[in-house]
Amino acid sequence: MTDTSMTMHPVLSARNVSLGFDGTTILAGVDLTLHPQEFVAVVGASGVGKSTLLRALAGLLAPQSGRVEIPAAITPDTRAWSMVFQAPRLFPWRRVRGNVELGLEGLSLSKAERRRRALEPLALVGLDEFAERWPHTLSGGQQQRVGIARALAVQPRVLFMDEPFSALDAITRRRLQQELVELRRRTEAAIVFITHDIEEAVLLADRVMVLGNGEMDQPARVVETLEVDMPLDDRRDHPEFAPLVQRVETIIGNH
Amino acid sequence: MMVVMTRAQRTLYSVLGLIGFLLFWELSLRSGLLPGSLVPLPSSIPGVLWLELLDGIWFDVVRSSLSHYSVGVLLGSTLGIAVGISAALLPRFNAAHAWLARLLRPIPPLAWIPFAIIWFGINPSAAAFIISIGVFWINYFASYSAVHSIDPGYDEVARAFGQQRFLARLTKVSLPAAAPGILSGLRAGLGQGWMTVVAAELFGIPGIGQRMMEASSLLATDIVVVYMLTIAALYATFDFLFMVVQRRLLRWQS
Repeated sequence: MTDTSMTMHPVLSARNVSLGFDGTTILAGVDLTLHPQEFVAVVGASGVGKSTLLRALAGLLAPQSGRVEIPAAITPDTRAWSMVFQAPRLFPWRRVRGNVELGLEGLSLSKAERRRRALEPLALVGLDEFAERWPHTLSGGQQQRVGIARALAVQPRVLFMDEPFSALDAITRRRLQQELVELRRRTEAAIVFITHDIEEAVLLADRVMVLGNGEMDQPARVVETLEVDMPLDDRRDHPEFAPLVQRVETIIGNH
Repeated sequence: MMVVMTRAQRTLYSVLGLIGFLLFWELSLRSGLLPGSLVPLPSSIPGVLWLELLDGIWFDVVRSSLSHYSVGVLLGSTLGIAVGISAALLPRFNAAHAWLARLLRPIPPLAWIPFAIIWFGINPSAAAFIISIGVFWINYFASYSAVHSIDPGYDEVARAFGQQRFLARLTKVSLPAAAPGILSGLRAGLGQGWMTVVAAELFGIPGIGQRMMEASSLLATDIVVVYMLTIAALYATFDFLFMVVQRRLLRWQS
């Protein structure tokens, strides 16, 4: 957390959020405060409710109790938040540029501005030359990059990422992780990143929030939040990297 | 073993099959195997068509049938697509009309002829009404299932990117995502329309069907065949043109 972000207002604050379906609570008591440019990774075993939590934080799902606040977008040509999904979920009937423009539609932007605003993030993910292509002509990694560009185009205050690299092959995944490290420097957005890959969490985040199951018949909860105090470059080679990964693994293993 | 053929070979076989059939037909009649009163000589058909064209009858009846057909198909398709999409998107509407749809659906379009005559009289509107019924159900079911089976993930994407209003979701997700299914329904409806058009005209509304009835009552089977082929040609033309449009609209598909 940087000194400037400490003094800024949070871009997301969740208080005592509980989630569940049909009267059953699956995740309880989640607190989370995010400032601009902060990156929190949420890890935990499968089925613990990571993706459900992400949707509740974004407002796509109503929590059972608790409160989530994301302040409105700063300007009428941006949005408060956006999301990158596990599968790219591009609209196959829109060209790449049309997909990136989706979130810009309905904002106060002229057609030309919208076009420019779509091409910027496409250039950022190295796909500006693919703007007029149909999604099905792109590889899985390229499609996910378009998904990231679509989310960045609206210049969100909070960017939610739901296991965005889990469906990709190892090489593409590694490359996109590196790109995300670079991207962090160029965006003001705070990021909530869901992953089941602990190395990925420690590699990218400022904080790692570990979800774990409680006692028998108790809903899951945040069992620990760890600060990652390493420079972003070449984290894998940092002496603290492996021990921290090991520590998160142990915490998850114990819950 | 499966026989693998090139496109040219397939075309050649198709042409040969057609010519073989016509030859068999022609020779069966000429040799007296089939009585000439039952079916006309295939070789007489072009001449009869020419006469129908010269008299202007062909143009009159085709124009007349086309007008019932167009109105019926347009009406049936529009309503079918609108009701089908609404049923798939609006759960209350879906529930409210479900039993009514189940009740009306099995009734064949031609069973509506008595009501068509009572409501519209023996005039083109009655034919258009009957055509529209068959076309309606095809489009209704195609649109309903196309919208119903849209990946809900697309809707979530729309909501995540600020397109949560009904109209935005309809135009940005439901319609384009369901377009392949809706267009298949439209295409099937175009065919169904031709099947009903003749039947709808048999009770006296001017058009291809009425001309065929007149001809058959005079045992002019050659004229009947001319109009059977006319319907086949019109259907093929419409289907081909629609396929071109469909391909253009769905060029995003892999």
